Amino acid sequence: MQQLAVSASGLVKRFGDRRAVDGVGIAVPKGLIYGVLGPNGAGKTTTLRMLLGIIEPDEGERILLGSRHPRDMSDQVGYLPEERGLYPNMKCREAIAFMGALRGLPWATGRKRAQALLENAGLGHAADDKIRKLSKGMAQLVQLLGSVVHEPDLLVLDEPFSGLDPVNQERLELLIRGQRDRGATILFSTHVMAHAERLCERISVIAGGRVRFEGTVDEARALLPLRARYTPHHDADAIGTMLPGDAAREGGSWRFTVPDGGIEALLVRLIDAGHGISGLSIERPGLHDAFVRIVGAEALADQPETIA
Amino acid sequence: MMPRFLRHALTIARRDLTATVMTPTFLLFLLSPLLMIGFGIIGGLSGQAAGAAGEARQVLVAIVPAGQQDSLRAADRELRSVFSRDSARPKLQLEAPQGDAARQARALFDSDAIEAAAVLYGPLDHPMILRRAGAEAEGRYLAALATQALRAAHAPGVRSTARFETIAVQAPTVSGRGQAAYFSTFAIFLVTLMLSGQAVGAMAEERSNKVIEILAAAVPLESVFFGKLLGAFGSALLFVAFWGTLVANLPKLMPAGMAGALSDLSVAVGPIFPLLLIGYFVMAYLLQSAVFLGVGSLASTQREIQMLSLPITIFQFAMFGMASYAAGNPESWVATAAEIVPFSSPMAMAARAANAPELWPHALAFAWQGLWVAITLTIAARLFRRGVLKSGSPKRRKKAAV
Repeated sequence: MQQLAVSASGLVKRFGDRRAVDGVGIAVPKGLIYGVLGPNGAGKTTTLRMLLGIIEPDEGERILLGSRHPRDMSDQVGYLPEERGLYPNMKCREAIAFMGALRGLPWATGRKRAQALLENAGLGHAADDKIRKLSKGMAQLVQLLGSVVHEPDLLVLDEPFSGLDPVNQERLELLIRGQRDRGATILFSTHVMAHAERLCERISVIAGGRVRFEGTVDEARALLPLRARYTPHHDADAIGTMLPGDAAREGGSWRFTVPDGGIEALLVRLIDAGHGISGLSIERPGLHDAFVRIVGAEALADQPETIA
Repeated sequence: MMPRFLRHALTIARRDLTATVMTPTFLLFLLSPLLMIGFGIIGGLSGQAAGAAGEARQVLVAIVPAGQQDSLRAADRELRSVFSRDSARPKLQLEAPQGDAARQARALFDSDAIEAAAVLYGPLDHPMILRRAGAEAEGRYLAALATQALRAAHAPGVRSTARFETIAVQAPTVSGRGQAAYFSTFAIFLVTLMLSGQAVGAMAEERSNKVIEILAAAVPLESVFFGKLLGAFGSALLFVAFWGTLVANLPKLMPAGMAGALSDLSVAVGPIFPLLLIGYFVMAYLLQSAVFLGVGSLASTQREIQMLSLPITIFQFAMFGMASYAAGNPESWVATAAEIVPFSSPMAMAARAANAPELWPHALAFAWQGLWVAITLTIAARLFRRGVLKSGSPKRRKKAAV
């Protein structure tokens, strides 16, 4: 059996009458990049904070790096909170070393590593700048470096990509992969599917305080049928009658769901009818569509509840 | 557990200390006492009050046969009208001679019941006057009384020739103790008043920087709070060291007489007193700062913090009021209460150190006050966790569910 870096079952957190997290379970295997996806207000942050022991769950259990008391493991954990914060008067290098020191790393080592990390991230020139002088994106990178400076076994990132420009997003992805290659487990939350699709080996989709899906990205995408895009050689309205019911015309092409039995029989009929094929592509819907489907259906189901 | 806790706390403390000390504002803060001369004057006035209270306990004693007491009393009444309230001599107390008058007179200086400034005995035309060091005027007053009494009884031209002897008194005087007690209480109060208010804003800073989440994720909140406390204490200590050095060297610059008067402020516990004083300052600071840290952590805006400063000052004054009353009335129940109530205890115990020689209550007091620092911090961290991080403790909820 694969070892788990983080596991939890039946986590519940109430804020007043509202159940922000309502029985969430999770199992993050070691050495993986694991994504927690969900719309805004789904309970992602609360779940992560409970897993880390920043707040205590009202019900349920969690085991972090083999311990039932997540706080005891805090020196092996790196965490980038959703609300970014650094002391504005601290220099970058010091800020990173400080965050390391909080996790038990000696200051001197922290400073040395901070310099190296900053240089790798293309921020070497800013090592002696105060945080207040940095742009938001740069400050965020500095904070991320601070959360990995002690080389944690588990790295938890809450919406790490928000507020970053594409270049810095790219840097961040590289950094996350680098941490995984070092042997760390990465658990991050996001509502931007593109990153999850590129990075995550497994995902959980949380909505309304519950887990709606757990599995690989491909498994999530497989929830939706294949989509085909067909461009006939000789276009005609009659083609519509031959295609599945959801077919829709887009310029000179048609988009439709691939039938259960496969597309071959359909293609034979189209060729026999003389429409010809000048273009054909078959693809899985993206994680985006899968996510909307997973969350959307549940959200619809939940709607009366939320209105009430 | 402990080294880890301490290490976390020290990490926080170190950041806070550098963040505080390495700013221009700290210099301003360091020099702020110059702006507090007004406070000094007030302090001086209360000091005088304490001094006056001490002198009021002093008495002049005349050991004379019953037949001469009336004439002495009449002379005292007459001469006393000469003095203003401030310059009045101590009260005159008349005693009848019992056996050896000389021994009786000397015994008066060792008495705990009264504090004799000067004592007259022997025949009125050749009296012997014993006086304490510094009580020259009191001795001369007794001599003048004798002359007046003689003239009233016999003839206008009669003179009384007195012999004077200065007595070296070993035991600290009650009034000297009282002044030292009041002085200690006031010093601790003043320094904590100036310094501990700093802690109010400490957690608000974290919250506005949004660093609190990083701290809370990495180290226990108790460590965060204790670290904040230590950090603030570090800068307070620098402050005290700076001014302490200045003040300690002050006697060298003062006229000899004044310095002598200062060294007269004797204390009951002896040479360990400065150590106790420093210890109680530390405890007073930690205790009050812990409260302010906790209260301040629940405030979310700068405005709220400013609003808090008034009740905080009132609280400090109340504790000081209790402790200074205790300094003046060491045997009263208020004194006992002030020594037990954790937040006035450091000040009251410092006063006790000046008033009473036993050492064991101080060991007890340090342990008691230390315990309360821990209790206050724990409560503050709990409130913060519940109120701000919105995290209840799971155990209690489980119990409630059962």
